[in-house]
Amino acid sequence: MLAFGIRVFVNMAQKTFFLLFLMLFGSGLTIAQNDSIIQLEEVVLSDARLYRFAAGIKIKTLSDSLVERTNPTFTDMLRFNSSIYLKENGYGMVSSPSFRGTNAQHTAVVWNGININSPLTGQTDFGTLIPQNYDRIAIRSGGGSVQYGSGAIGGSIHLNNLLAFEKHYDNVLQMGYGSYNTQNLNFKSSYGSKSLALGFGMNYVTSDNDYEYLGREQKNENGEYHHLNFNIDAGYFFSKQLLLKLHHNTFFGDRNLSGTLTAPSDDKYKDINTRSLLEMVRFGNEKLMKFKLAHLFERYEYYANKNRPDYSLGSVNTIIAGYDHKQAWGDFTLNGLLDYKRIEGKGSSLEDAKRNQWSGTLLATHHATEQFRYGFSIRKDWVNDFESPLLLALNGSYKLSDFYLLKTSASKNFRLPTFNDLYWLGAGNLNLVPETSYQVELGQLFKVGNASLELTAFYIDLENMIQWRPNASGLWVPQNIQEARQYGLEAVLNYKKAWGAHHLELDGGWAYTRSVDKATEKQLLYVPLHKINGSLNYSFRRYELYTQALLNHSVYITTDESNELPGYTVVNLGGHHNVLKLEKLSLKMGLRINNIFNEEYQSVAYRPMPNRNFLIQIIAKF
Amino acid sequence: MNTRNVCIWALAIGILTSCDNDDDEVIDLPEGDYEKGIYVTNEGPFNNGSGTVSFISEDFTNVEHAIFSKVNNEDLGNIVQSMSFDNDLAYIVANVSNKINIVDRDTFEKQAEITEGLNNPRYFVAIDGTGYVSNWGDTADESDDFIAVVDLTSNTVISSISVPLGPERLLVNGNTLYVTNSGAFSTNNQISVIDASTNSVTTTITVGDMPNSMQFDNAGNLWVLASGNPGYLGETGGALSKINTATNEVVNFDFETTQHPGSLGIDEGIFYYQMGGAVYKMDPSDDTLPTEEYISGLSFYNMTLNEGKLYGTDAKDYASNGTLSIYDITTKDSMTTLTMGIIPGGVYFNE
Repeated sequence: MLAFGIRVFVNMAQKTFFLLFLMLFGSGLTIAQNDSIIQLEEVVLSDARLYRFAAGIKIKTLSDSLVERTNPTFTDMLRFNSSIYLKENGYGMVSSPSFRGTNAQHTAVVWNGININSPLTGQTDFGTLIPQNYDRIAIRSGGGSVQYGSGAIGGSIHLNNLLAFEKHYDNVLQMGYGSYNTQNLNFKSSYGSKSLALGFGMNYVTSDNDYEYLGREQKNENGEYHHLNFNIDAGYFFSKQLLLKLHHNTFFGDRNLSGTLTAPSDDKYKDINTRSLLEMVRFGNEKLMKFKLAHLFERYEYYANKNRPDYSLGSVNTIIAGYDHKQAWGDFTLNGLLDYKRIEGKGSSLEDAKRNQWSGTLLATHHATEQFRYGFSIRKDWVNDFESPLLLALNGSYKLSDFYLLKTSASKNFRLPTFNDLYWLGAGNLNLVPETSYQVELGQLFKVGNASLELTAFYIDLENMIQWRPNASGLWVPQNIQEARQYGLEAVLNYKKAWGAHHLELDGGWAYTRSVDKATEKQLLYVPLHKINGSLNYSFRRYELYTQALLNHSVYITTDESNELPGYTVVNLGGHHNVLKLEKLSLKMGLRINNIFNEEYQSVAYRPMPNRNFLIQIIAKF
Repeated sequence: MNTRNVCIWALAIGILTSCDNDDDEVIDLPEGDYEKGIYVTNEGPFNNGSGTVSFISEDFTNVEHAIFSKVNNEDLGNIVQSMSFDNDLAYIVANVSNKINIVDRDTFEKQAEITEGLNNPRYFVAIDGTGYVSNWGDTADESDDFIAVVDLTSNTVISSISVPLGPERLLVNGNTLYVTNSGAFSTNNQISVIDASTNSVTTTITVGDMPNSMQFDNAGNLWVLASGNPGYLGETGGALSKINTATNEVVNFDFETTQHPGSLGIDEGIFYYQMGGAVYKMDPSDDTLPTEEYISGLSFYNMTLNEGKLYGTDAKDYASNGTLSIYDITTKDSMTTLTMGIIPGGVYFNE
């Protein structure tokens, strides 16, 4: 049944989406079953606008089974299952995405509706996310600053926890052991009744990460890491009209930063991230009001030498308060949001960093006819540091026939300068302005039987990009000096077939990306011209076999295109056997072989990636 | 992957406005013959990668890149800081890799390496069979900076001499070694004077903040140019210090607070240095600093003088190949500009 929900393209009828939720949570929606769809969406998902205001937007939702069979790392999950290119500073280390040829600061990470990119660096380190911790992970391509704020330019990654108001008590325990003494433990527990939903999750990942460098007498030194993560989710209906929701997430990271082929390392990095969100939702007739209170905290300690007590640090506290009002008139929905954000940063190299930010957003969507739906939205931020631009987005989809759907969107987006850019001791530049982007895309979705093909062409024009360059006196300072354009084509193919007890699913993606510095007409660093990813999944009764492949074109590592890192092809192979299947207990055993052909490759220059390696998994559901 | 086909297809469906994929042609020379010419050390990308050495023929017409890895099929190391000759050998210091590669100065074939006893090595100099290497030590520790003393027969570090924070440039006069201590990631203003016969510090001389270059004039005085502190360390102006090597007496020529000079060089007994995008010229007998720019509109990452020519490196955006520009110091004419590796710094003459 879950297989049905493997891919939710938003262009699918909203009703289908609703039905999907009904299927997933069965009778759990009884409390609100006489109410409108906008209310039902909100009960399950705090970030309900992700799907509601998305006519014409390309969204890919990753299935539970995909997350289940994935590696312990979020990076691997994305690079094998999306067109996003990720570069890792060695396996398990700092990982940054390039979405549609943009850089890591142009990918917003959104946790239960809240943008969690660090105010210090403007990005999220994908090495610190654990996929098993979220109930639903979605990739939204293209500009999304109106809805999700600073940095949603290449696209955004959505990490959502769901609440199920139905009578249930489910537990999932997942354990893995693999090469380089890699161990992971994931536990997830969920309890629910008609008025109460509770969820608890815990993840622990550790690895010596000391793999041999293929073809060399060197191994990955100082690469060990330990990650610990907790999350708590709760929802309670005080009455039919009043729902209180809580989401919390705490992450502890303790990583050594591995060396390179030419430089040893004894660096160490410790960080803690906590995220808390409290929401009070009031349901009315065809309308909904929501008060939101959130607190984000991050702190890092960087040890240049792990054997010494000295470290440099940075920490940020963010408080968000928001009011959200949604109203539907038949097929037309309007959503107004008012948010206040207060950010305070401290650190060894930061001068007094504070930001007050007010945001006003208006979103509208209209399902004009069965075939045609469109939306428009507008946002304005008032930030104490600088003037922020007025943001706009227009999007729509038109279903020409049962097998052809046309989608388009255009938007203006922004990225605010980070605290490091503004307040770095001796270098911070208070004259910076936000980066802005104008972007447009055109998508076509073809569906024939069990096969679908989605083709998307995009164009991004990025202005006032912030780069650190030496000034006249040789000091490195951030400046709004780069302009770039990104354009390309993405193809996503999906094919499913079932016969008897056999199930087959093929998933593939190809991305062609040009990302060009306008001044030099050269391709930007670490943007592959081509990236191809594919997976094939076959199951028969209690057996499941899968393979994943990734083809990465070469990337330039100098701005004059004089040096490049060769392309690579990496293939993984894995399988599961459901050894025990009782009413209240199911037990799955799995084996996964990563990099089965022992490809020698580097994601970042001079940092070789792992050779062939193994992972044994046990998944118990009870 | 055939790029052209993709482009044609993309153009056909009318999405892409331009498709280009041109590569710059690089002409390679036969390797292994570097008897006469110029070596340029390129630091290389900071985080991950290797520095390189480029070779330029005497007449500037032939350039060969990354000669160490070509000849020896291995990387030099991360952040190639400097190079130094001693008899038939050249010593190349890779800072982050904590490594000195020793090569034949005419063929660039690797002879040996020094990896033990170094910590953040910067510069190397040899005095009579003994090598001296300035080391920052652990950058979190402001009191572990040292000069490593190397037995050049066994190529092992045999002892170390403790010096103030941030030892950098080394200059030799007979048996005396002068070390600029410029403060590593912070600031300092000391010159250590070391007696190479006893390997001990005989005295420490105070000069301007952040000394960056040293030269002897024809009368045997030591001149030290200091850049002064940048704003975030409490801005101070540069200083040119004249040191009588017999008495260690210092005479300072002070710059304005916002002036930060660098790259002191000497040719035919005349000093040249660069500051704020210009080159200045000064006779050591002058009583004051020059006020007039000698050559304007030049901004070099590093500048070196040799036999009537000025060699200036440009690191561009620090993430692409830089250049070396050569000027005739008398006529001020630009002679040529050549492409180097990533962040070209030191220029060395194999004569």
